[in-house]
Amino acid sequence: MSRVACVRVEAFAAAAVERCEPALREQPLVVVAGAPPATRVVEANARARAGGVRPGLTDAEAGVRCAALVRRPVSPDGEAAARHALLEACLSVSPRLEDAAPGLVHVDLDGLGLLFGDDAGIGRRLRRHARAVGLEARVGIAGSRAAAGVAVRFGPPVHVLAPGAEREALSAVPLATLEWPAGLAATFARWGLTTLGDLAALPRQGIGARLGRAGLAAHDLAAGVDRAPFRVWTPPPFWEEGQGLDWEIATVPGLVPVLERVLARLCARLTAAQLLIDVLEIRLALASGGHHARSVALAAPLDEVAPIVALLALEIDAHPPPAAVTGVALSARAVPRRAAPRGLWQPPVPASRDLATVLTRLTLLVGGANVGTPLALDSHQPDDFTLVPFDGRPPAGDDGPGQRDGAATSRPIAGPLALRRLRPPRPVQVDTRDGRPIRVRDTTALDATITTAAGPWRLSGHWWDTAAWAHDEWDIALPDATVWRLSHDRLTNHWFLTALYD
Amino acid sequence: MLVDWLLRQGAITELVGPLSSGRTSVLALCLRVLTRRGAFAALVDVDHAFDPGSAVAAGVELRHLLWVRGEGRREAALRAVDLLARCPGFALVALDVGESSPRLPLDAAFRLRQAVRRSGVALLVLGARPVVGGAARLVVRTRRDRLAWMGSGPMPRRLAGMRTGLHVVRKQGASWPAEPEPLWWTA
Repeated sequence: MSRVACVRVEAFAAAAVERCEPALREQPLVVVAGAPPATRVVEANARARAGGVRPGLTDAEAGVRCAALVRRPVSPDGEAAARHALLEACLSVSPRLEDAAPGLVHVDLDGLGLLFGDDAGIGRRLRRHARAVGLEARVGIAGSRAAAGVAVRFGPPVHVLAPGAEREALSAVPLATLEWPAGLAATFARWGLTTLGDLAALPRQGIGARLGRAGLAAHDLAAGVDRAPFRVWTPPPFWEEGQGLDWEIATVPGLVPVLERVLARLCARLTAAQLLIDVLEIRLALASGGHHARSVALAAPLDEVAPIVALLALEIDAHPPPAAVTGVALSARAVPRRAAPRGLWQPPVPASRDLATVLTRLTLLVGGANVGTPLALDSHQPDDFTLVPFDGRPPAGDDGPGQRDGAATSRPIAGPLALRRLRPPRPVQVDTRDGRPIRVRDTTALDATITTAAGPWRLSGHWWDTAAWAHDEWDIALPDATVWRLSHDRLTNHWFLTALYD
Repeated sequence: MLVDWLLRQGAITELVGPLSSGRTSVLALCLRVLTRRGAFAALVDVDHAFDPGSAVAAGVELRHLLWVRGEGRREAALRAVDLLARCPGFALVALDVGESSPRLPLDAAFRLRQAVRRSGVALLVLGARPVVGGAARLVVRTRRDRLAWMGSGPMPRRLAGMRTGLHVVRKQGASWPAEPEPLWWTA
């Protein structure tokens, strides 16, 4: 028998504002829309409702009913972020979700009992995860989405309807506790219906003939029957958080607390989804009407607020916005968190937080093209390599010391002779005898007789296209006791010193 | 073992010697041993002379190596070393100062020593001559004492190998193991 949880956040628009400004939870808050004098209340939190404020009132009426009322404008960005946050919090419990409406999520609980225990335990877990992303939710659990959607509106914060007893439990629920489309409530009252049980007892076809699609949906709700398919929600590839400001910020230190709050919300969502930030894009709304966007590629994926805020502050400091800031939006490209526990005998690795900061500073110092991990390419061409970003994390399955280099550490030490590359190769003039180099000189101080020359080692490649190359390589010893690698380009007949044995 | 003899956590070691004396090969050996233990190392390369190909041949795990290229900018390279020396977790930070690097100012050298002492990083400085001075716990000079060619007569076929001797120039601390045997490198 399937089980479904309905997670609901009351007064969602107000809850989204409270998520951005947690201090407002202790005050009567309304979300308003429209320009004065036509400003109307869109949503009110529990304290405002206790003061008699309801959605639809004018701003003046609401102010009369509750003198201490705090007003905030509608924030579509904040609501969208809160909606995603709730979905992601639920995603950390179950992979099958349905985004039913803003602040309303259906969660498929099939198979979760083995992981998290009984229905009540799963409900508490859902509430806890929602609270972790800044939203106070109620949870109803039943055998269908319709029944769970009713259960979430009354009873305890985690309301579980026992399997098979949903219809009986719903039958006593007064119709007045639910929200109905315009005109439907009046029709029900005219017919003398007072509870869901009364409505469910009526024939469905007759309801459909008289009230149309809205009536059928109401009857299904009363009977606790799902007709629509479960539309599974999949997380977006980008994760965004934003906050509008009621004031203008012109300095980086003033912007840092706002960045911290927005980033903390974003990191909480990512943590719930077992993700880390790889690239972070910041978009600042400016008082001039424009936008200032920057992108920060983290050297190592992170979900810690403090180091990322430090990097953002450094980036904004280096590239300040041309006008005062009136809004902040962060967009993260996320990567999955990799579990890589290290063994007791394995050497320590740099902490991701320290490493990210150091790599960013190194990039600023010497340029991004000069920091990374060398990667030798599969090529016969000498000195063919590329630089890739430094990972700084132990690879999965790294078995640590003693298993991979044990022989090398116990036998007499020897290894290949290393080269020191000359980049770019140093052009020289070479005298030859019988095809062998005997003297090397250049335009500077070098002018020496070659004491020993070994070679040639003939290399070539890409002969099939325009990047063809063909070298003869020689190892030469000079009287100053240095040993060089000398290269003869057979295509251009030029000689180069390419490396030094050291 | 050479690496344990040469490197100390939280201390600076200087490896000096002329060109073709084997000091870069000693660095590659240290990188091989440490990266194969699973540790991470960083190399700050002032003259952009590091050769990834010979490092791979030496057995260095390149994915455990952070390479910072100074492109000839010595001041930037020194600041990079200063940053890395303060990042705990690197088993080795190597600074290849190249051939014509002047000595570090005394205060900068001792600041570097304090940094590695706090972070526990082993700092290896390679150059033609000492640059860190008294801040180094051990100064070792490399000297090539033999060069071998394969093939007889005046026209050998290839370079066969090189032998490097390690000689302690200065050391701090009462007890120190004896100098290691000369090292043979194969070309």
